Amino acid sequence: MESDNTTLIKKHWTSRRRTLNVAAVFFVFLLFSALLPPFPSFAAEDETLDDILSDFDGDNPEIPGNTIDDALEGFDDGSEDDILEGFDDEIIREDTKKPEDTKPPSIFTLDGYARLGASYAFAHDKPEKEETDWRGLSRLCTELNFELNARFSKLWQGRVTGKGAYDFSYAIKGRNKFTDDVLDNYEKEFELGETYIQGSLTDRLDIKFGRQVVVWGKSDNIRVTDVLNPLDMREPGITDIEDLRLPVTMTRLDYYFGDWSLTGIAVHEIRFNKNPEYGSDFYPVTIPPPHEDKPDSDLGNTEYAASINGIFSGWDISFYWADYYNDTSHIQLVSLKLPPVIKRKHARLQMLGTALNVAAGNWLLKTEAARIDGLKFFNAPGKTWSRTDILAGLEYSGFTDTTLSIEAVNRHMNGFDKVLELAPDYAQQDEFQWTARASRNFLNDTLNITLLLSAFGGIGEDGAFQRFSAEYDITDSIQISTGIILYSSGDLIAFKNIGDNDRLFCEIRYSF
Amino acid sequence: MKDKSKLIFIPLFIIAIIIGLTAASAFADDPKARAIMEKVDAREDGDNQISDMEMILIDKKGRQRIRKIRSFSKDKGEDILRLMFFQHPADVKNTSFLTFDYDNPDKDDDQWLYLPALKKTKRIASTDKSGSFMGSDLTYSDMTSRNLEDYDYTFYEKTKEKEVNGVKTWVIWSIPRSKDIVEETGYEKSLLFVRQDNFFVIRALHWVRDGGYNKYMDIKKLDLIDGIWIATEMHVTKKKGKNTVHKTILKLNNVKFNQGLEFNMFTVRRMEKGL
Repeated sequence: MESDNTTLIKKHWTSRRRTLNVAAVFFVFLLFSALLPPFPSFAAEDETLDDILSDFDGDNPEIPGNTIDDALEGFDDGSEDDILEGFDDEIIREDTKKPEDTKPPSIFTLDGYARLGASYAFAHDKPEKEETDWRGLSRLCTELNFELNARFSKLWQGRVTGKGAYDFSYAIKGRNKFTDDVLDNYEKEFELGETYIQGSLTDRLDIKFGRQVVVWGKSDNIRVTDVLNPLDMREPGITDIEDLRLPVTMTRLDYYFGDWSLTGIAVHEIRFNKNPEYGSDFYPVTIPPPHEDKPDSDLGNTEYAASINGIFSGWDISFYWADYYNDTSHIQLVSLKLPPVIKRKHARLQMLGTALNVAAGNWLLKTEAARIDGLKFFNAPGKTWSRTDILAGLEYSGFTDTTLSIEAVNRHMNGFDKVLELAPDYAQQDEFQWTARASRNFLNDTLNITLLLSAFGGIGEDGAFQRFSAEYDITDSIQISTGIILYSSGDLIAFKNIGDNDRLFCEIRYSF
Repeated sequence: MKDKSKLIFIPLFIIAIIIGLTAASAFADDPKARAIMEKVDAREDGDNQISDMEMILIDKKGRQRIRKIRSFSKDKGEDILRLMFFQHPADVKNTSFLTFDYDNPDKDDDQWLYLPALKKTKRIASTDKSGSFMGSDLTYSDMTSRNLEDYDYTFYEKTKEKEVNGVKTWVIWSIPRSKDIVEETGYEKSLLFVRQDNFFVIRALHWVRDGGYNKYMDIKKLDLIDGIWIATEMHVTKKKGKNTVHKTILKLNNVKFNQGLEFNMFTVRRMEKGL
């Protein structure tokens, strides 16, 4: 048994090292491609001018001293290329005119997109009898998103967004092979997205009411103070960034004074993360979860939040406070009678935090810190715990069309007790997470390549994933994207047994 | 033998000095050329401006992409505040970009980008402005004003004046004074054609630092609006040798000056609310 475990551990570590190495190679490749010029540079010396000028001189490139004439020829009739026909021999048109009256924009505008996305799981082993076969096609989803905007006046506007999606992969693979939980939550989806009305009550006071997303903090890849909207965590690392945050119904008031703004928020809709469902390949254990006890979205359960934001030359600072429900549930024994009843509960938390951005040249420093009170765990009934999260990050934009960033956070449980490490809590005294992202645009922004590494623990021992993706604009309205995501199992509950969930993915999108 | 080597060495030394002085004079700052560029810099370029920008991006196979932007700008002393709302294509619609372009060369510009897909305003820290602006052949440095102190100006050594499309121009080298400026703009040097009658740069040939490109900027339409000359059509062509690699046609429509824009227009609050 011990030998089996050793073999498993070795296999697990080999797999982790393999995937981390692949990512490291990609990262180094991208870093080098960022550092190097996109094409071999040819000399920009004086003779280059002559070369260029002679290129445009169809008559006598050898004549010395005619370079300026050649240069002008280059502007005027420089190419046989059709592209340049409009450029040829066209003189400067001059006009003296009065400003035109522009047509007022229409009140309503409709935008959106349709997309077809597929993903393919390539690392699963053949399942045991009775187990779900997760190999092969894991998603073939069509989706229609719409966004209706209304501009009622200069000061008031509204928005309604929504989506409908159907995943054909379950029908193709056989619906009877999946749990009801999976089919109910993954196969089809119809959802109202951001839907709100927004306006200015005075010159300094804005109001926004409805389903909306409020993003707090300065970090791009790790959440510390960004606590107001739940996340779609069903397929970690795969969910599109624009779909990641789930909108909730809020009333938001913003008051502006000088370089500062003060925000007050009441959250009326209690909504939690969408987590992997029982029966999905991201669900960490083999038993179904206990019943989830969700607080009602009533007046008594309203969440409250406030922030102060300052925007200055070269730096920004924010202070946050929130009284809210934990998006992540804890398990609680609610009855000692036989059989004992356990439920998943959401603790009420209080968060006090701050975030700072400092720009210096091509560098952007990002820091966030938060203290969270009110955390609850199964193994310490009746007690509440606090946590201190500290994040630091750097972003560098000094290479043309390239952004490199790294962020790291440590989440420290104050007054930690070893019992919290036991199942089903699996809490850690210090949970360390880091991300590295490299992104570069090519071909006049038609091609974007991104590498994201996200790891818990110094080398991903608590779980990690690496995503390498490419997006290409075929036209203004049609975009294709593809990539690979590699997972490493880890000690954190969300990363248990997901090392074989590696996927290839692709998508085609039509925007209108 | 020693005398012979002296005989060779001395003329070589003199020739080296002459070549050195010639090279230095070729790129030394010429007060007359600088005076012209100061007039270019001082030319009235309007305030409180609103315009609709359209960029047609054409690749070497002739495929076109279109970018549409609603742009607002306002002077704050010597600084320029600029707010742009991207309107087309659909996947970048409602993205907005706010820039505080400081006249003080020692002060980095402030830039923020609102990304509607992320529902987030992100500060951009980048003194490197050599990146493509929305996929066009214009760079961010082309969209901001240049500090004259960062460059040496001298007349083109072959000819000081040239007639372009029937108008007289001065032909002036613009040479960055430091590697930092080359890094920031992406241009090794530029040859500028300045109209003599209105001090408008109607043509520029840029030597791009990376990739071995040359970039031809050509004004195709000049409008006099409210007494202010403004280029309402510009073609920017990126070439490698004889071959066109990419081209951008930039048009400004509905240009209006003196629109009484408030300073609170140029805020993160405004960019997040959209047009």
